[in-house]
Amino acid sequence: MLEGNGLLMFLVFFPFAAGLVSYLIGRNSKRARDIFVIVVTAAELAAAIFLIASASDTNDFHWHAFAGLGVHLRGDGFRTIMAILAGFIWFFTTIISIEYFKKTESRNRNRYYMFALWTLGATMGIFLSSHLYTTFIFFEVMSFTSYILVIHKETDDVIDASKSYVGFAVFGGLATLMGLFMLQANLGTLEMDALIPAIESTGISEVTLVWACALVLVGFGVKAGMFPLHTWLPQSYPAAPEPGTALLSAILSKAGIFGMFVITGQILLHHFSWGLALTLFGIATALLGGIMGILSDNFKKTIACSSMSQIGFIIVGVGMQAVLGHHNALAVRGSILHLVNHSLIKLALFMVAAVIFMNLKSFNLNDIRGFGRKKPALMFTTGFAILGVIGVPLWNGYVSKTLIHESIVEYIEIAEHTGWAYGFKAIEVLFIIAGGMTCCYMLKLFFAVFVEKNNDPAKQAQFDANKHYMSVPVTVILIISAAILPVIGAIPNITADGIADVAQHFLHGHSPEHAVHYFSWVNISGTLKSLGGGVAAYLVIVRLGMLRKQSDGKKAYVNAWPEELDLEKKVYRPALLTVLPFIGALFARSVASIVDWFTAFVGKIIFLKRPERFQPPLNNEFGTFNEEEKESKIPQGISYSLIMFGAGVVAVLYFIIISFISGWR
Amino acid sequence: MSFLLIIPIFFPIAMGLALLALNFKERGKRQIYVASVCIANMIMSIVFMFTVPAREFTLVRFTDTISITFKVDGLSTVFGMIVSILWVVATFYSFEYMKHEGKENKFFSFFTMSFGVVCGIAFSANLITMYLFYELLTMATLPLVMHAMDQRASSAGKKYVAFSITGASFGFIAIMLLMNFGVSLDFVYGGILTDQAAVAGHEVLLQIGFICAFFGFGVKAAIFPFFNWLPSAGVAPTPVSALLHAVAVVNAGIFAISRVTYYSFGTDILRGTWAQYVAMIAAIVTIVFGSSMALRENHIKRRLAYSTVSNLSYMLFSLMIMTPEGLVGGLTHMLFHSVLKITLFFVAGAIIYKTGREYVDQLEGFGKSMPLTMAAFTICSMGLIGIPPLMGITSKWLISKAAVDCGDPVAVAGIVALIASAVLTTLYLFEIIIKAYFPRKDIDVAELNKDVKDPNGLMTVPMLGLTAFSIIFGIFPTPFIDVFQSIAAGLF
Repeated sequence: MLEGNGLLMFLVFFPFAAGLVSYLIGRNSKRARDIFVIVVTAAELAAAIFLIASASDTNDFHWHAFAGLGVHLRGDGFRTIMAILAGFIWFFTTIISIEYFKKTESRNRNRYYMFALWTLGATMGIFLSSHLYTTFIFFEVMSFTSYILVIHKETDDVIDASKSYVGFAVFGGLATLMGLFMLQANLGTLEMDALIPAIESTGISEVTLVWACALVLVGFGVKAGMFPLHTWLPQSYPAAPEPGTALLSAILSKAGIFGMFVITGQILLHHFSWGLALTLFGIATALLGGIMGILSDNFKKTIACSSMSQIGFIIVGVGMQAVLGHHNALAVRGSILHLVNHSLIKLALFMVAAVIFMNLKSFNLNDIRGFGRKKPALMFTTGFAILGVIGVPLWNGYVSKTLIHESIVEYIEIAEHTGWAYGFKAIEVLFIIAGGMTCCYMLKLFFAVFVEKNNDPAKQAQFDANKHYMSVPVTVILIISAAILPVIGAIPNITADGIADVAQHFLHGHSPEHAVHYFSWVNISGTLKSLGGGVAAYLVIVRLGMLRKQSDGKKAYVNAWPEELDLEKKVYRPALLTVLPFIGALFARSVASIVDWFTAFVGKIIFLKRPERFQPPLNNEFGTFNEEEKESKIPQGISYSLIMFGAGVVAVLYFIIISFISGWR
Repeated sequence: MSFLLIIPIFFPIAMGLALLALNFKERGKRQIYVASVCIANMIMSIVFMFTVPAREFTLVRFTDTISITFKVDGLSTVFGMIVSILWVVATFYSFEYMKHEGKENKFFSFFTMSFGVVCGIAFSANLITMYLFYELLTMATLPLVMHAMDQRASSAGKKYVAFSITGASFGFIAIMLLMNFGVSLDFVYGGILTDQAAVAGHEVLLQIGFICAFFGFGVKAAIFPFFNWLPSAGVAPTPVSALLHAVAVVNAGIFAISRVTYYSFGTDILRGTWAQYVAMIAAIVTIVFGSSMALRENHIKRRLAYSTVSNLSYMLFSLMIMTPEGLVGGLTHMLFHSVLKITLFFVAGAIIYKTGREYVDQLEGFGKSMPLTMAAFTICSMGLIGIPPLMGITSKWLISKAAVDCGDPVAVAGIVALIASAVLTTLYLFEIIIKAYFPRKDIDVAELNKDVKDPNGLMTVPMLGLTAFSIIFGIFPTPFIDVFQSIAAGLF
């Protein structure tokens, strides 16, 4: 029943058991629970790292009886890297969450840790899955366990945001399920390895295949925050407590990307139109996230929108993999690396956000303005993370963004003299603009928190005096999380290429023919264009547009994002809550009233001589006739039963007569 | 030895009648009596199901074709097992619950009698026997529905009788047709219309007959537009709603339709015809309709009743695919839905019993006040929605797979309905869960739920036991599915 590498089973199922145990421990001792949770996440990280060593014996794990179709896990290159990444991020966020919850809201911590551990198990299940149904099972589990992380604060705003989270999760999950049905029915398997051979052997029509994949994409696209399925993201990321947001942004969104990798690398391999569509969705996500990030006056919302924007870049990379076909080495490596880089960067940034919130209980830029002055550790972490995310050479974001950018340029060269070249030229320009936006909103955050002074001098003095704003362990993990970034970025031919070499087989990628010269002038000049544009945008949009004079003559940040421009409130919610119920009710009422009319008609005929008045039935609030008046035309009581009985008898008699006449038997 | 089969049928009926006569004054004695009868009957029915050698016993023979005959095959075993085991669980639950309803003696005597009648349906070997017990079931359960004997209850009771009897009379038309054209009235997997010469030329008539049977027996399975009695019957005491209106009676409808479809008409004459489409479309409509009605219903028990309406049509839809895979999907959902829905009703009953609150809005903050009860509710709700790896997903997967495999466009449309219904299910069940665990901030939950506590063990043990069952067999459903597959292959 259970066979294969037990370590894989441990990675996935141990957190579920540990979650329950932590809950029980937490009922007696909070301190013991905290230590237990840290130990569990550390064990997970260790197990994930150990996977590298154990993978040589057997890579797979099967549990045939699990949930009907069985569970199939695998620990190969890419999956191991994802597992290590998840373990690492969980370990760090757990450490910071213990201090965070002590200083902020300490209610329901037990619940939080239990569901955080369950989410860890589910996430491991997704990243290690080798069968699409396994992916789906853990994807659904993750959606619902992470719901508890989102709703943790339980204020009315948060409950509203979490409704949108769970709504999208359910919708996406079911769309994915539908897509999986189609794949299973047409291909006869959902085993990831077997999909491409099955596509060749069954000769499935391309239209069906693309439709199925598009449905599967919906679920994963929701989790990744892909336009136009992103509307939950700017609500839910800020709603969750910061350690939870770090998980959502750094890891759970990557579960969505994982799904896109599976589709692009294991099903629609090298499919041009698919890649084009993904590229366009990716660019739209990157731009929209960037714009929302720039225009927000809220520290955390800006980072949340930044996540959306960076995920847009990754999706562009995924799309370019398919567009480039066999020459997709750069796109494959770029999207894998940007995935890893973004996780690490957002871990650092959301941990900074957690530190800010546990000291100030606010994220409004005007409230936290100047908080970071004279706090070198915080500034170091934030600064490194920002240098990473905006893609400054020597930091990690530069490497991956350059690769994705180069892959677009490569296609422009391949498609030279065709119409596509112009189209992708436009995509390249938009890509650079989106990169500039990253620079713009990150400068906004950095200047607001670390350079400018607070409008209220008393507050600023308080900020400057606050030297114990975080404990030693938190300082250590913050600095570690920031210090990793240049390690990947400064020696990319060793670190970044190493990761990419291990991971690329998952996407059927090959190593490029020559080592990439990351620091060649062509690449650096591209980045400089982007950064220059970003600085200019910062000066114009933020300094001139968003810093407005207040009544007291001082300049303060304003929220420039037009709140009414909300796709969810304008389109999705009305469609779901008004239009669909209307159509449903219209339909149901029509059919119900036909039945009512029929019964009333029969009643009229039978009770022609003796119209009786009846009380309307108490529970029967549906149907046409209850709307009119207190007089129901549906006769109640035994007479009504007699009608129905009579109808049956008449039908039987009719049948007997007919059969007699036509002389059967 | 085969006469043993009639014991699980007539023993509870006799004991129920005896209980009417004995009329215990002391609650304790009656509880011992009822519990021992139900447990004994469960044991007997299960043992006989697996051991009776000849497996067929004729009680009365009227003519060559018409007789009262009992036998056990795979389908009876499934239905019989579900009912027998859940009956005992529900018995213990109702011991506690019925304390506040009164007239316990009458209640338990009819409750016990119904057990026998349902076993009669399960063990019947031909259409006439099944028809007899099918009608008897209506009569035996009517006093349970009308238990409160107020105006609402009697109105619901009349509705129940009118719908059921009319439905069964339509089913009778089909039986007459089958008598004319079939080789016998016995249940044979694959159908009894094997005499090609007799059938030839009358296919359309037989299809009309099938539609009569589908909607006639479908009344008990609450097919649209004959669903109305089920939400109304929610006025019955909760153990009745839980056991009869989520498991025994409604599953009897499903059981009868699977008998008629797979064992009498046979799928060959129906597959691909208009009759299949009419039945399938009715089921698809009911799936969405039931779920959307559940969403707009604010009364907990009626919301669950509409949810049952919708879920029963999952089974009907699956059966109407008319392939062996469809039968497997339908049976799997019959088992899983029974376990999950009876638990949800138990929870609703526990809430009504402890607090008297009947509406969804009144459940703010119950997660803290009734932790065990709401935990059972949450897990079973998630199972019903189909969140993997809990129970519902497996049956929905099997149903959808059967629908996709048969390749029929209407069947594929049914999958869309299943998915739409899953969204609605999430909405109407999660509304309760969210209210229970994340109450609004503007009300004082502690004050509101001052006296709210979990009920005692007679109620919580059945709920939690079934919940545990649903978790374990949700994760490992293979043993059941293997059995269902061997039934659908005609082996068992």
